[in-house]
Amino acid sequence: MKRIRSIFVLVASTSAASLIACSASLPPQDLTNARDTYDRASRGPAAQLDPADMHTAKVQLDLAEASFTKDGDTQNTRDQAYIAVRKTELAEAVARTKQANEDKDGVVSAMHADEKQAVAATAAELGRSKARVAVQGAALQDEKSRRQDAEKRAAQAAADLAKFATVTQSPRGMVITLSGSILFVTAKWDLLPTAQLKLNDVATALIKEDPLSKMVVEGYTDSQGGAAYNQELSMHRAQAVRDYLVTRGIAADRITAQGFGLTNPIGDNKSAEGRANNRRVQIVVQPTDTTLATTSSL
Amino acid sequence: MYRSILSLIILAPLFTACGASIPPPTQRLADAQSAQRSARELGANSEPGAQLSLKLADEQIALAQKAMSDGDNKRADSLLVRAKADAELAVVQAREKGANAAVQTAIDNSATQKTMNIEQGAVK
Repeated sequence: MKRIRSIFVLVASTSAASLIACSASLPPQDLTNARDTYDRASRGPAAQLDPADMHTAKVQLDLAEASFTKDGDTQNTRDQAYIAVRKTELAEAVARTKQANEDKDGVVSAMHADEKQAVAATAAELGRSKARVAVQGAALQDEKSRRQDAEKRAAQAAADLAKFATVTQSPRGMVITLSGSILFVTAKWDLLPTAQLKLNDVATALIKEDPLSKMVVEGYTDSQGGAAYNQELSMHRAQAVRDYLVTRGIAADRITAQGFGLTNPIGDNKSAEGRANNRRVQIVVQPTDTTLATTSSL
Repeated sequence: MYRSILSLIILAPLFTACGASIPPPTQRLADAQSAQRSARELGANSEPGAQLSLKLADEQIALAQKAMSDGDNKRADSLLVRAKADAELAVVQAREKGANAAVQTAIDNSATQKTMNIEQGAVK
């Protein structure tokens, strides 16, 4: 009985061993490698980037699986699985290569875009520079012609005035001296009709002057009569000339009047000629900064 | 006559299964060597991954040649299909290395150009 049992156990264990060896044998290392590698690749970028080689790898893995199912762990199964691993790794490498090429193209096209932008920026800057130079040139030309105009105006005004008045340059500016005898009757400050004609010319000449310059009309007398009287007379005369010039178009805020009486004589009060010279009205045109150069050059 | 054909059909698979009777895998050898040369020419030996694949191919081709001279064509065939797969992988790995180098070159060029642009901007 005991012997029969031991024979049965022996038979059972041998048949179990043969079962494991045949249908239920474990997959070879190559096949599990192939499965793992394919599984990894199918979840990676190769699935999208290299579907063709991934398909080849899958077909190869299927061959290995079919061989294993049919024949178990044979050399052919191992070979097919080994190839499946390589095919899958190849698909992954191709995918990485494609990715690298795309990256490179991206870098290169970004570089070209940068280059284009830099060229465009340089061209734009050049354009702006040119425009600035043009504007500066135009401004320079403008300034030049403005100066030339101012010079011409000053020269013309001086020439006009020289016909009936003395025009001198002093540190205070251009001084136009008009003789009192052509403007007023003795001891009066009403302008003579002829004086008005002269002053029209003065006004015309002054209008041609730099429109920014300020003017002072100064009245002077000879020494006959008291100082206070002469002071008042000179003040009224200066005021009369100033008011007339304002009516002829000189802006009121540019021109003021001041009486100096018998002070600052330019001639000898003892002689008739000296006294005549002292009776005078002077119009001082104070230069502005821009007219200083032109008036002083006269 | 009929009998002899029938016996041939029945016996043929048995011969091929034996192994000794299969012809030398010369075409497989040529294929594997072709892929091996391509990998070498593409510089597979200068990149560790490709170098390993190529080395495997080299070794298996050498073993296959020895097996063929020993008359073991079945083993040679098995080694050669593996060698071809390794050599083909080495080819692609070598190309990958070239693509990576091109990316690095492009990045370097781009950086150089950016610096140049900035310098020109500063001069301007």
